[in-house]
Amino acid sequence: MAQLSVVNESEGYLKVNYMNADRGIMSWVLTLDHKRIALMYFVLTMVSFFIGGMLAEAIRIEHLTPGETIMGANTYNRMFTLHGVVMIFMFMIPAVPGIFGNFCLPLMLGAKDVAFPRLNLLSVYVYAVGAGLLVYAMASGGVDAGWTFYAPYSLSTPATIFPALLGVFIIGFSSILTGLNFIVTVHTLRAPGMTWMRMPLFVWATYATSIIQVLATPVIGITAMLVGIEHVFGFGFFDPTRGGDPVLFQHMFWFYSHPAVYIMVLPSMGVISEAVAAVSRKNIFGYKMIAYSSLGITFVGFFAWGHHMFLSGQSALDSGAFAIISMLVGVFTAIKVFNWVGTMYRGSIAVNALLFYVCGFLFFVVFGGMTGIAVATVSLDVHWHDTYFVVAHFHFIMVGAVLMGVLAAIHMWFPKMFGRMYHEGWAMVAAALIVLGFNATFIPQFLLGNAGMPRRYFLYDEKYWMLNVASTAGSTLLFIGFVIVAIYLIYALKHGPIAGSNPWGLTGLEWQTTSPPPKHNFIGQPTVEEDPYTYQKKGEKVEHVVI
Amino acid sequence: MKGYILVLVALLIGTVVTVVTGKMDLGSFNLAIALIIATTKATLVVLYFMHLKDSTGVNRLVFVVSIIFALVLIAGVFGDIMTRNPVSLPHGGPVPRTGTPSSAMHLPAAHH
Amino acid sequence: MSSSEAHQEHEHPWYLAHHFDNIKVQNYAVRMGMWLFLGTEVLLFAGLFLGYTVYRYFYPQAFEECSQLLSVGMGAFNTVVLIGSSFLVVWAYHSIKHDQVKKCAWLLFLTIVCAGIFLVVKYFEYMHKIHEGQLPGKMYTFEGVTAPGANMYFSIYFLMTGLHALHVIIGATILAVLMVRVMKGKYGSHHNVPIELGGLYWHLVDLVWIFLFPLLYLI
Repeated sequence: MAQLSVVNESEGYLKVNYMNADRGIMSWVLTLDHKRIALMYFVLTMVSFFIGGMLAEAIRIEHLTPGETIMGANTYNRMFTLHGVVMIFMFMIPAVPGIFGNFCLPLMLGAKDVAFPRLNLLSVYVYAVGAGLLVYAMASGGVDAGWTFYAPYSLSTPATIFPALLGVFIIGFSSILTGLNFIVTVHTLRAPGMTWMRMPLFVWATYATSIIQVLATPVIGITAMLVGIEHVFGFGFFDPTRGGDPVLFQHMFWFYSHPAVYIMVLPSMGVISEAVAAVSRKNIFGYKMIAYSSLGITFVGFFAWGHHMFLSGQSALDSGAFAIISMLVGVFTAIKVFNWVGTMYRGSIAVNALLFYVCGFLFFVVFGGMTGIAVATVSLDVHWHDTYFVVAHFHFIMVGAVLMGVLAAIHMWFPKMFGRMYHEGWAMVAAALIVLGFNATFIPQFLLGNAGMPRRYFLYDEKYWMLNVASTAGSTLLFIGFVIVAIYLIYALKHGPIAGSNPWGLTGLEWQTTSPPPKHNFIGQPTVEEDPYTYQKKGEKVEHVVI
Repeated sequence: MKGYILVLVALLIGTVVTVVTGKMDLGSFNLAIALIIATTKATLVVLYFMHLKDSTGVNRLVFVVSIIFALVLIAGVFGDIMTRNPVSLPHGGPVPRTGTPSSAMHLPAAHH
Repeated sequence: MSSSEAHQEHEHPWYLAHHFDNIKVQNYAVRMGMWLFLGTEVLLFAGLFLGYTVYRYFYPQAFEECSQLLSVGMGAFNTVVLIGSSFLVVWAYHSIKHDQVKKCAWLLFLTIVCAGIFLVVKYFEYMHKIHEGQLPGKMYTFEGVTAPGANMYFSIYFLMTGLHALHVIIGATILAVLMVRVMKGKYGSHHNVPIELGGLYWHLVDLVWIFLFPLLYLI
């Protein structure tokens, strides 16, 4: 374990903690405390998740019947567009870095704050402005070009696309600021004795994510700007009637948006690395491999964007090259999966909601990943492109893997952030519902896509009816699961049992300070003299504990 | 300080060279020469004016990596447009040069 | 470094943030932060450079002929102005490191003047184009070059020089703020990293133009 100059662990609840150390609304509005900023991200991204979820439910209810159910075709186009835009830009990209990166990174490194606290505060406000613009775009008629806003339709759609594009551009800035902050934090604010190979794996994952955020986001920025300018001024960059190339748009768009999916999934993978060690009470198997594979995903992920464009007119040569590189990225994920499973093997497995989320994650990342390799095969993608098969594939990763990671993070760090424990029984019920509900929602979609149901179509053929009903039923289960999670967590905020510094008995610097942490994180400067996961000494056997 | 003046002079000379060679007709070498001169000037600015020469390895890595990824973007797109079926390219492919200038104004003809 | 000695109180100047142990670490961190930000700017412009290379590949003749419609003299003049301003700003940084406060302020002022000159020249260039109808997108009415793709050239011209000019304005603003702070005596040999960082941003503006000039005006 790491040492502190003054023992900071306690069984109790720290009365004067980061949430009440400074009082008054201005102390929150102008806070420089990374933990308060994390809470601000928590609230904003959860609201976004709720909005995105409601849009998803609207789509699923519409698909209860093959014809028109509750909305017209134009509204439907807006629903799926906004579901994508909200979920991706307002929830998934900012959530884990914004909440847990902000809260946990400095604690895990033994630092007092991130490298640039004022930039951190700015990133939250920039996010809020961008999100506000997106909400405004939604309210003033919505956008209907798909979250991918392909040219040439996005250039000429009558919908109010410009505020949405501006919103995306601005939210991108927030992402860049966060990534920049975290990279510098990891380089400069590690506690004495914490070498790179002693950093927790969540830090490695966040670092890898931050690299992508910094390098890729400017490209979506310029792309969104170009479409906006074309929409208003008719510049002709992507407009075939003016000599432009619409496929060029797709290249620029996916150059960011493919690495973006790694922005979404890498932090969750980092969470799972921590959670796997936690539920197995065992040292991580293959620490170096997991750390390096995060960087591998970051870099190789930049070379794979064309696999979204197999049917766009892109040349066969380029498509083939992108296909092979995309499969290569799968290798890094596979490395991680083997190491996580290897960690759990012969571990002292705790049966709790965290375990359910870990297992759910593993199952979903394997199936989502394998179907990813499947659609990366050009000849197969000819059949599956723009069908529900692809939709199911990316939801397996985005909801199945990323969301399980988010839920695991919330449950693992809730006691640290708020000093109280939630009700484990209800947590397990909700987790089971979510995992089952997820399967019920999206496995039918694989079958639908393979049978030929296209995505983003308002109407569908009668033969797809039953599976669509099944999918909607599953989504209802999912929804109930989320509602239960919200209820017991909000209840636990005020009424949960006191957690103490280290309710899970985990290693890691964040558990060596009180729950909730004090304003300046630690008393004195922690120093690190050991590896990050020290459940067992070298050669020592796992102690199987029955809790 | 002397170093900065030397770099300034080199940059100004580079500017003169690029303007002079730009006006000459060197066929397809025009682009290559212009890029080489620009890259040399840029390298001087980055190394000496921006002190990357004396900077930490991390900063150098950051800058170099960003340039590399910009080139990856361009390379990936060119891999596509150079091998795509011409039907799916704007104007059916790169517009071949006509021997005569298309401009109504009296400009020097393009001889490439 | 043992934990109990970390909380020293005698060395805490106003410019050292509380979460950094000492000024060396802070300077290292802010420099890295600035280089990361410059990396993002490189990738922002990369999208436009991509557009330029792609459309030049498609429309070589139109691009050549249109580039001859640009004034090489004005472009070269602007190049010299920016290179000179880069020199001035690094001289300003050199001065403040040697506590030459007045000199630094003057040099920063001259750099901002260079920025102004650049923008004035650009204004005249744009005015000429508006007059000729060599405008981007919907507003293109120029008929002087009939090779296909001429309109694309001007769209790209305005996008690239426009984004660049925006960065000139932002850079000049940053330098102006720094100049005021220099005059207020905030910087000297003990603390001058902000001037360095402002200079770095300005050099990026110069770097982009070093590539824009030959690509748009000369070839």
